[in-house]
Amino acid sequence: MKALPGALRQGLIRCGDCGALTKRGAASRPCPVCGSQLHARIPNSLQRTLAFLLCGYALYIPANIFPIMTVTRFGAGEAHTILGGILTLIEGDMLPIAILVFIASILVPLLKLVGLSLLWLCVFYRWQVNARRWTQLYRIIAFVGRWSMLDIFMISILISLVDLGGIAQVLAGPAATAFASVVVITLFAAKNFDPRLIWDNQNV
Amino acid sequence: MNDEFAYETEDASLNKKPELPLVWLLPICAFIVSGWLIFKSASEKGPVITIDFPTAEGLEIDKTKIRYLDVEIGKVTDININQDSKTIQVTAQMHRTAENYLNQNTSFWVVRPQVGLAGISGLNTLISGAYIEVKPGDGSHQHHFTGLPAAPVLKTEAKGRQFVLETTNLGALAPRTQINFHGIPVGEVLTQELSVNADSIRLVIFIKAPYDQFVRKNTRFWKDSGIDLSAGADGFKVRTGPLVSMLSGGIAFRTPPEDTIKDVKPEYTMFHLYDNYEQSTQIEYRNTLKYVMYFNGSVRGLTEGAPVQLRGIPIGTVTGISLELDAKTADIRIPVTVDLEPDRIKEINKQPNISNKDMMSRLISKGLRAQLQTGSLLTGQLLVDLDFHPHSKVTLHSNNSPYQEFPTIPSSLDQFTHSAQTIMDKIAKLPLNELTIEMNNTLKSLQVTSKAANGMLAGARQTIGSADKSLQSADQLLRSLEPGSTTRHEIDKLLLELNQSANSVKQLTDYLEQHPEALLRGKGDE
Repeated sequence: MKALPGALRQGLIRCGDCGALTKRGAASRPCPVCGSQLHARIPNSLQRTLAFLLCGYALYIPANIFPIMTVTRFGAGEAHTILGGILTLIEGDMLPIAILVFIASILVPLLKLVGLSLLWLCVFYRWQVNARRWTQLYRIIAFVGRWSMLDIFMISILISLVDLGGIAQVLAGPAATAFASVVVITLFAAKNFDPRLIWDNQNV
Repeated sequence: MNDEFAYETEDASLNKKPELPLVWLLPICAFIVSGWLIFKSASEKGPVITIDFPTAEGLEIDKTKIRYLDVEIGKVTDININQDSKTIQVTAQMHRTAENYLNQNTSFWVVRPQVGLAGISGLNTLISGAYIEVKPGDGSHQHHFTGLPAAPVLKTEAKGRQFVLETTNLGALAPRTQINFHGIPVGEVLTQELSVNADSIRLVIFIKAPYDQFVRKNTRFWKDSGIDLSAGADGFKVRTGPLVSMLSGGIAFRTPPEDTIKDVKPEYTMFHLYDNYEQSTQIEYRNTLKYVMYFNGSVRGLTEGAPVQLRGIPIGTVTGISLELDAKTADIRIPVTVDLEPDRIKEINKQPNISNKDMMSRLISKGLRAQLQTGSLLTGQLLVDLDFHPHSKVTLHSNNSPYQEFPTIPSSLDQFTHSAQTIMDKIAKLPLNELTIEMNNTLKSLQVTSKAANGMLAGARQTIGSADKSLQSADQLLRSLEPGSTTRHEIDKLLLELNQSANSVKQLTDYLEQHPEALLRGKGDE
C-alpha cells in the first residue's frame, strides 16, 4: 500500500500539544494556536529512547534476581523473587493467577523492552519494513505498558493490608523498586519514541 | 519537494547528535545502582557449608536461619538425608562475615523451645520456628560440620575455669545443674561420665570468673539438693538450698578462710563431691588405721559409717560389717572393720620413734577395749565405744581379715541382759505352786479369824452400852455432889460431926490411957 506523503513533506508541522497544522517557516517558531514550541519530530527522540531503554535493561536485572517482597509469618521471613513467587503460585495450584502474574510481571516488561529496542534499531539502521505493522507494534507496546504496574499495585495493597506485626507482615524488597522503575522508565521510553520516524525512513 | 526532503534528512541527522547529555545520566545511575546491588549481594555471600544433624525437626528450607548471638549469619538452603539413612545433611548459605567462625571446633545445634525446672529457653522459637545456633571454635578452616544433638552448656566463650568432681552416686545431677557459692549461682555442670573403672562418676563443671578463684586447696563441694533435716541434742535443724536446687538438685561449694589466693587450684583439678553438707564439714583424715573387731551378740543398729568414739569423742568410723561362718566349727562371727584416725588425737610429749600403730598396741595393752553402745535410744543406733577396761582379758579370734584385730568386751547392754537373764532364771526356779497353796490356806484361816472377831465386836458393843449407863449414873452422882447442893451440905455436916466424934473419941482414949481405972470407977473429980 502506498503511503501518503507526510505532513512534513507537505511543508506542514503539527503542533504536539493542540494538534494544529502550521506552515513550516523559520525554525523554532511557536504554535500560533496554543503558543507551544513547534517541532517537526519529537526532539532527540532516538537518543532519549535509547537512554531510557538502557536504563530499563539495567534495572530489569535486579528486578528479577532480588526478592520483590518478604512475607513474614510468625516471625519467620520468606523472601520471594518474581519468578519464585510464580513458582510458589504454581505449586499452590493457582495456575490462572500464576499465568496472570507471569504475563504482567515478566512477559510484558520484557516484551516492551525488546519491542522498543527493535523499533529503535529499525529507525536507527533505516530498515525497510512494513511501516504499518511496526506502528501497530508500537501501539501495542504503548498500550500494554501501564499494566505492568499490576504487580506493584498488588504489593502495595498487600503491604498496607497485611500488617499484623509479629503474626504476618509483607515487606517490599529491593526488586519492587527496580521493577516499578522499569515500568515507569519503559513508559517514558515509549513516550519519547516517535513512531513517525519509522515512516520517515521508508524509501518509498 | 527535493528541498523538503533535504530538510527532513537534515532534521534526522540533527536528532543523532548528542545534544542532550543530561538524559544519559539516567541509564548511568541505573547501571550504577543495579551494579552496586548485585555486587553487594554477591559480596555478602559467604561459603556454602554442610552440617549433619540427627533429625531435621523444625528445620525448613529457605526459612531456617543460622544465628550467632542472635545475629543472622546464614540460611538453610537445602536439607537432604545422608547416605547412611540415619542422619540428615543441612546445606546452608553463610554470610561472608561468618567465614571466620567456620573452624574445626565450631559447634552447631538446633534451638528449639525447652521447658525445664531450671527455666524456659528458646521460647521465641515457638512462633518463629527453630533456628540453628553457632558457637565459634578454633582449629582449621572447614566447610563440613557435625551438629550437636543438644545445645552445649556454654554457648559463648564465658570466662572461667573447669573442674572435675568425683562422686559415686549421680542422683538428680545432670548437665546444666546449677552450682552455688554462698547461694550465688556461679556455674553449671557441663558433662557427666563414668570413670574408666566404672566405680565413680566424674562431672566436669564450669565456674564463672571471678568466682573460679575461690576454688582452692580445701574447697569442698557437696550436693545441695532437697531439704536436709537433722535432729540433734539442740533440736531440729533444717537446711535447704535454693528452690531450684530443691526441685532439680544442685551443687554448692565452700572454701575455708584459711585458704589464701595462693592456694587457687588449676583447671581440671579433681575434687570429691560430698553427699550432703554435714559430710563436707567433717575433716578428712588421710592417715587411717584399719582394725577388725569381733563382737559377740547382735550388732543390730550398727551401720557402716557409725562413729567410733573414744570416751565420747569420735576418732573413726565403721567401714564394714559382715557375717562369717566357720565351716569347720559352724561358728558364726561378725567381723566389724573400722577406720581409726589417730591424727584426731593430739599428742603430747611426742615420741618420734613410735608409730601410730605401735601407740595403738600400747593402748590396747593398757586395757583399751571396744564395746558396742547405744548411740540413740530413739533409733537404736549403735556406735563403737573405746575405753579402758584394764582388768578385762584380751580374747583374740582366728583372724582371716588383712587387718589387725582389736580386742572387744561385751557391751553394757549385753551385760545387762545377761544379769537380767540370771535373775529371771532364779525367779523361774521358785516353787510358786506350793507358795500359792499355802497362801490360800493362810487366807482361809484369816477369814475364820475375822468372822470370830465380828462376833466379838457385837459383844463389845453391848458392853459399851452398859458402860454408858454406868457412866450416866456416875454422872448423876457426881452432879449431886456439887458444892452448894443439899447432899454436899449434908456430907459436910456429917464430916464435921464425924470430926467432932473422932475428937471426943480421942479425948476418951487419951483419958482412958491416963486413967484406965475410970473404966471401972468412972470419972473421978479433979
